[in-house]
Amino acid sequence: MSDAFVKLSGLTLGYGRTVAVPALDLSIREGELIALLGPSGCGKTTTMRAIAGLLDPSDGTIEIDGRDVTRVPANKRGIGLVFQSYALFPHLSAHENVAFGLRLQKLPAEEIRARTEEGLATVGLTGFGKRKPAEMSGGQQQRVALARSLVMRPKVLLLDEPLSNLDARLRLEMRTELQRVQKETGITMVFVTHDQAEALALADRIVLMREGRIEQLGTPADLYARPETAFAAEFMGFENIFRTEGAAVVSDKGRLPLAAVPQSPILAWRPDAVTVGEGPHEGRVAAASFAGAHREYVIDSALGPVKADAAIELPEVPLGGTIRFDLPLATARGLAA
Amino acid sequence: MFRNTREGLALALPAAIFSTLLFLVPVGILLSEAFRGSAGGWSVQGYIDFFSEPLNRTVFLRTLKLGLLVAGTAAVIGYAAAFCIVNLGPKTRGKVFGMVVLPLMISPVARTYAWIVILGRTGIVNEAITGLGLSDTPLRLLFTETAVFLGLLQLFLPLMIISLVSAMENIPRDVIPAARVLGASWIEVFFKVILPLTKEGLVIGGTLVFTGALTAYITPAILGGSKVLMLETLLYQRVNVSNDFVSASVIAMILIVMSFSANLLLKRIATARS
Ligand SMILES: Nc1ncnc2c1ncn2[C@@H]1O[C@H](COP(=O)(O)OP(=O)(O)O)[C@@H](O)[C@H]1O
Ligand SMILES: [Mg+2]
Repeated sequence: MSDAFVKLSGLTLGYGRTVAVPALDLSIREGELIALLGPSGCGKTTTMRAIAGLLDPSDGTIEIDGRDVTRVPANKRGIGLVFQSYALFPHLSAHENVAFGLRLQKLPAEEIRARTEEGLATVGLTGFGKRKPAEMSGGQQQRVALARSLVMRPKVLLLDEPLSNLDARLRLEMRTELQRVQKETGITMVFVTHDQAEALALADRIVLMREGRIEQLGTPADLYARPETAFAAEFMGFENIFRTEGAAVVSDKGRLPLAAVPQSPILAWRPDAVTVGEGPHEGRVAAASFAGAHREYVIDSALGPVKADAAIELPEVPLGGTIRFDLPLATARGLAA
Repeated sequence: MFRNTREGLALALPAAIFSTLLFLVPVGILLSEAFRGSAGGWSVQGYIDFFSEPLNRTVFLRTLKLGLLVAGTAAVIGYAAAFCIVNLGPKTRGKVFGMVVLPLMISPVARTYAWIVILGRTGIVNEAITGLGLSDTPLRLLFTETAVFLGLLQLFLPLMIISLVSAMENIPRDVIPAARVLGASWIEVFFKVILPLTKEGLVIGGTLVFTGALTAYITPAILGGSKVLMLETLLYQRVNVSNDFVSASVIAMILIVMSFSANLLLKRIATARS
């Protein structure tokens, strides 16, 4: 197993004169499922297109399996790419879509047929071979696109927001499907998403991107528990992020005292890390919603809005009512400035 | 769409009357002429007479050849141009597309005369050739098949480009990159993806250009003259010089048959591919 099966070094990407990704360094391990996570426009698709050879980098190199492929054209790279739009060939049946790449390799007809049917079976579409893309649902098209890449047995499979066009139920189904296919085939997979829950659920490692740069890289557990910057914390669901000044947290609106002087310049709390119903601070309930196992409050405080989850056993405080809360140092995540 | 069919028919009526009276009737009279025997009654003698004359055969084959050549060349250039245009940014794309359409707004007479400036005895090309010492005497570039070919190509290329651009705009995003990633060379991308997905545009463009090249009069008249006769210029001669209405209507009929066959043939090829 190579630790740098895909290696991007100083990869600089842009469109015309605008730089979308400046000097990206990233190593992807063989056989891993890695997620590129980040807000829309942060350069995820651009990075994928460059790895696939659809976009020439203005600087830097791309190595795959120890070979520099920076100047190798897209049709010679042996990489799979599943597009966000699926990009199925509308004039071809599902079977012919999946067989497209195999036919280009001029394989024997029998092998093409066998591998195509195997590919359709892998994604649970046996018997759908004759359908045209227009006659299939979004989820089925998505699976044809996946099979079309898989039958090529690519060294690396790139998936650009593979689940974002599916409805919630189908998305969960396809999540498990992707994970299963990855474990079965052992293919190195890079998938793009802007949904942190998806990245956390699926990936072996997550690359969190921001404006073309890597903000943080780590396992889902790492990123979830130990974001290092305010941006990463916000992405991982730390909804209360405040600067510190001495033994206090401050915002543009005001300040609240802390129990002691913290070590970090920024502190962050998830809603469930905020104590509700007791504590030294007081605020008004600006919004409240029932979320099954807990109640979600937005508390109007001296700091501005504070988001807090209250155990369902606690008495409900009505809108506008006074509520006590605490921002405990013990449950805070300290962040770099 | 309409509350009843009668309303729809009423709206179509003026156009129907117009085209019946002013187009179908005269054309019908003209074409029936083409099957009139010398002793009255129906006959295909006009066609036998027409094709037994060597000059007529030459003109027929030349027209067919130039029509196919112009349409074929327009398709090749058109695909290249359309591919570039659809890949441009929205702003430059509008400008370039405007430049493609612009010639259509200029009279074909003016556009054809521009070729005289280029290809004439003292035209730009000959000035350059004699100036560079490549030839002592100016070359005869006008009144050649090449001149007619160039004139017709320039005249009808925009129609091909427009047809292909709108066809290519309808190719779903990312389909071409997808083919590339699956291992297709650019040639394979063209034949396996672009061509099948733009065949309707090619049929329309091909028919427009081929029919246009067959039926253009001004361009072959100016650039070919009587040295390079085409069916259309021959037709004019038969009517105005020899007053021979029978062979004129035979030529007209041949032109119509050629246009229709071209369209049918292209459509047949297009459906056979998928
Ligand atoms: N074809 C393009 N031309 C110009 N700029 C582009 C193009 N595609 C993307 N960009 C720009 O590059 C940046 C990164 O885009 P992209 O990689 O698509 O982001 P993501 O996939 O993370 O949403 C964005 O600022 C976007 O506006
Ligand atoms: Mg994207």
